[in-house]
Amino acid sequence: MGDALLTMRDVQAGYGGGLVLQGVDLELEPGSITCIVGPNGAGKSTVLRVISGLLTASAGSVRYDGQELVGRSPADILRAGIAQVPQSRALFPHMTVRDNILMGGYIIRRERELLRQRVSMVEELIPLLKDRSNDYAGNLSGGQRRMVEIGRALMLDPRLILMDEPSLGLDPKSVATVAELIREVTSTGRTVLLVEQNVRLGMNLARYGVVMEQGKVALTGDADGLADNPEVASMYLGRAKDQP
Amino acid sequence: MSLRREVREVQIVQVLAYGILLGGMYALLASGVTLIFGVLDVVNVAQGAFLVMSALFTWQVWSVTGIEPLLLIPVNAALLFVIGWIIYRGMVARVAPQGPSMTVLLMFGIALVIEGTLNLVFGNKFKSVTPEYFTWSVKIGDIVLPVPQLISGVLAIAILGLIYVFLRVSWAGRAVRATAQNREGAALVGISHKTASALAFGIGAATAGAGGVLLSIMYPVYPATQYDWIARLLGIIVLGGLGSIPGAVAGSLLLGVMEAFAVTYVPQWSTLFFYGTILAILVFRPQGLMGSVTREDVV
Repeated sequence: MGDALLTMRDVQAGYGGGLVLQGVDLELEPGSITCIVGPNGAGKSTVLRVISGLLTASAGSVRYDGQELVGRSPADILRAGIAQVPQSRALFPHMTVRDNILMGGYIIRRERELLRQRVSMVEELIPLLKDRSNDYAGNLSGGQRRMVEIGRALMLDPRLILMDEPSLGLDPKSVATVAELIREVTSTGRTVLLVEQNVRLGMNLARYGVVMEQGKVALTGDADGLADNPEVASMYLGRAKDQP
Repeated sequence: MSLRREVREVQIVQVLAYGILLGGMYALLASGVTLIFGVLDVVNVAQGAFLVMSALFTWQVWSVTGIEPLLLIPVNAALLFVIGWIIYRGMVARVAPQGPSMTVLLMFGIALVIEGTLNLVFGNKFKSVTPEYFTWSVKIGDIVLPVPQLISGVLAIAILGLIYVFLRVSWAGRAVRATAQNREGAALVGISHKTASALAFGIGAATAGAGGVLLSIMYPVYPATQYDWIARLLGIIVLGGLGSIPGAVAGSLLLGVMEAFAVTYVPQWSTLFFYGTILAILVFRPQGLMGSVTREDVV
């Protein structure tokens, strides 16, 4: 991996008393998709929350494009170019789809022309957002909500997007649509850090894979290589390496 | 149509109009409580004390200067906004992490401190602001309405309209609504929870500031009046659906009309009608009139 866009070193973080992350080291290559997999409670989502500033690391460092992120507010981290699409239920259900998208540009709200351009850009990329612009977000299906969440994150034209289980709770058709959107999002050079329980989907989308266990990174490597790793295959893909 | 029947119909329309005006007043105050609850999960049981404080302040200024009391609406609203902001940043924000029960205790404590202070300053006697129009009434068609009630109801509805527009149109208002609907989602788009909460608390308190002026020209007040008001406001926001401003408005109008009819036709039962209506509706609709109706079948 060349110069990393984001580097985590020995990051520790938790909720209340216990530490969920117990010394995480991670690097993200610019323009790539990296997928974190691991069992429930391994700390995958916590990694994303630490990067986005929703949770402050108690030790270690998170450097992004030469800046230290630990201790900065979520708004500061957004301004730095990192947006998060959380696991679920992140929308404002009693606002319309268009208002939800607009809220994605909250920190650039005073730059009206830029805001208008971004709304057009996002609606062009995800036509559903225009078609359903006056519907309340709370009345959308799971797949549609995920599209709105991704569209909202794109309002700041972020360099790094954190996605927490984008396929969670979706039917196969919606999963395929969301996966296609993720590929499109990265086609313009954006970097994506993905957490995905659907390991097959995640490794299929990603260039790099990271396996987490008990708050630490257990394995890293090319996604294809990891998918072929017998241990990973048997634990997360439900088959041994040699099985079809 | 017989004269008797005609008189009865006019009286019904008159009571209905009076009820809507009363409901408008309730709506202004209840929307302040429900806004704070929606954003912060804090039940502001001090809203009644804020209201009475504003009313007594109005009485003081009016009795000393003779100023038109309605001119104090923006003054008292701004004053209570600042007081609300300070109370949130200085106390509520520190206690909130301990959970809703602690914030209820805190707000109850603040209400008692305000009531005690008002007792010391103003004494435990009724105070009435009686401007020239206090005893006037106005005839609209066949119905006659007391001017203070008409002014208070119309202004309360107008102020509520301004708050609604602010929450819908301005970025600050959208930030407050977004925080109320999804705190983590709001943080992820860069909205500071503390700022949105302080703003919501300030606006909630400001409704009591404006409402206190309106209250002072409608009814006599003394410090312990706060208990009567907070009991009504809590009933209204539970009826409307906790955290729902449209629910608070609907609940307020419904209860205002119910109360007006009860006061006119069965005055000795009016309090029972007010709380009985809440009870009856909650038995059949426990989530309140406008509780959550969004899809819960998707993640």
